[in-house]
Amino acid sequence: YPLFQRGGPQLRIFRPNFFMLAVRPGVPQPEDTVQFRVSMEMTKVDIRNYLERIYNVPVAAVRTRIQYGANNKRNHRNQRVKKPDYKVAYVQLGQGQTFQFPNLFPEKEQDTETRSFDDFRDKYMEKEKQKQEGDPRRGGVPDWFGL
Amino acid sequence: MAALGARRLFCHGRRWFSETTPDAPSPTPGPLYPPVVASVTAKSQAAKWRRLDRFKQRVHAAATVEEKLRLYGKLQRPKYMVYPQTFALNADRWYRSFTKTVFVPGMPPGAAAAKAPVAATGATPEAGRAPEPGAEAPGAANTPEPPVGAAPYPDMGHLRSLTCDALLQESFYQNKKRPFLYRDQDHTPGPFLTQLVSTLAAFLSGRNPLLAESSLDLKPEVNYYWHHGEEVVVHGHRKGRVDPVRFQIDDNPHLQIRVPKQLPEVVPLESDLGDVPVIDHQPSKLPLFKKQYENKVFIGSKVADPCCYGHTQFHLLPDRLKRERFIRERLEDQIEVVYRSNGIASLFAWTAAQAMYQGFWSEADVTRPFVSQAVVTDGKYFAFFCYQLNTLALTPETIKNNPRKNICWGTDSKPLYDVVEDGNVKGFNDEVLLQLVRFLLNRPKEF
Repeated sequence: YPLFQRGGPQLRIFRPNFFMLAVRPGVPQPEDTVQFRVSMEMTKVDIRNYLERIYNVPVAAVRTRIQYGANNKRNHRNQRVKKPDYKVAYVQLGQGQTFQFPNLFPEKEQDTETRSFDDFRDKYMEKEKQKQEGDPRRGGVPDWFGL
Repeated sequence: MAALGARRLFCHGRRWFSETTPDAPSPTPGPLYPPVVASVTAKSQAAKWRRLDRFKQRVHAAATVEEKLRLYGKLQRPKYMVYPQTFALNADRWYRSFTKTVFVPGMPPGAAAAKAPVAATGATPEAGRAPEPGAEAPGAANTPEPPVGAAPYPDMGHLRSLTCDALLQESFYQNKKRPFLYRDQDHTPGPFLTQLVSTLAAFLSGRNPLLAESSLDLKPEVNYYWHHGEEVVVHGHRKGRVDPVRFQIDDNPHLQIRVPKQLPEVVPLESDLGDVPVIDHQPSKLPLFKKQYENKVFIGSKVADPCCYGHTQFHLLPDRLKRERFIRERLEDQIEVVYRSNGIASLFAWTAAQAMYQGFWSEADVTRPFVSQAVVTDGKYFAFFCYQLNTLALTPETIKNNPRKNICWGTDSKPLYDVVEDGNVKGFNDEVLLQLVRFLLNRPKEF
């Protein structure tokens, strides 16, 4: 490939080897802020270009920090086990857009069949338990005890 | 018989003796035991409240204002540093919630109506015509003025020529080298602003005797420290305790005019002109950072100075908050946010510090409103702000039953001129100069 100079033809395309993971924030963030876990080698400029060019997301501001993974756990050989470090990026969206991390595990609506089956199963389990316990009038005393 | 009688007398003797002194309003003796109050040193809520009450009594009973300020800022803890000139997005909304301020766009109606005749006389001559440098004949502007009285309205042509002189001197006539990297504002707009304000103030002091007694500060320091809201301490040996959120503003306006008499109130103390935004998130999400250092309250001069009230501040925006930078990053709506946040934060700090210099604080709220003005500029675009401080009570206990809100009036940024070319100022905007003159002429009624 010929050496590239500004203004020349772009003969090679470089795809970034970065990956960005959108995560649910641990502490509540303002509505326009999205939290990502990014590769340790990414910079704020990289993150902005990545989101704007690949996903067409308008980015107003980016702030990053590196989260240190603890080294306190020990394995069966008493060696310290390190949790990996990772970089967290807080991206503020432009043009007044907002983002709320979705609920990934919503409670499913049960139809009548499953609901009645659940009720039947609960009642059966209750009856089995009562049979196991014995007569409540004996106050927990086993039935082999007595005259 | 006599013995019986004597015994009966003796039996009833004690009661009889006790009834012979019938002084009904006997003076009630003083309390035999000291009052039952909570301990001062115990590790309990009641003891904590008692310690707080003792501290408040100490501040109330302080003899001088310096002693009050010293006790107010004695305890140092990590606090948020609030910067009036910030690049944070939507900072003016956050700052309004920190300072309980209502923002009203436009100037207060009282100021606009009083100076309407000035606009009439000033706008009729040279409307939009580019004036020549220094060779302005004030005669053309004098003719439309009313012949009654000794010309109570200022001479707009002369003022315009003064402004253009200052502008051309700094940007055209004076031979300056190229500015150093990111020092553009100190190179041309800074000296222009200083020159403009000092000449205009000197010229208008004839009409406004308050300006004659004023004090013009160059690059003064304005600081204010306050509490607002509550949070739980996250790390450290004080983890889990509920603490007030502490803020500190350390501001350096470019210029400041301090006067001995206070500006009149714009609206009554208890007026409600809008809503204060409520933000549930922590201030650190703005982003805002904490540091622990001296809790300073300062207006630009010490307490003993006679010019203890504020008139006008002039702020110059730094290079990193230039308009071109925002346009390049496609954040056009943040340009106005920068002006507004600067106006609100700086003016709140200045007016609140003035109120503290008069002895008011969060437990002893202000009895009269404190008014100040500010002009925020980047050399070409000017934005005007007027602030009325109605309440200092922003701490968690005092804010509960406090209906008062602080009010800030502000305009959008408007250009003073379009471009300076070959010794000519093109596209001069009279309204901006008029608003500036109105600000400088603002004075209390008795003057």
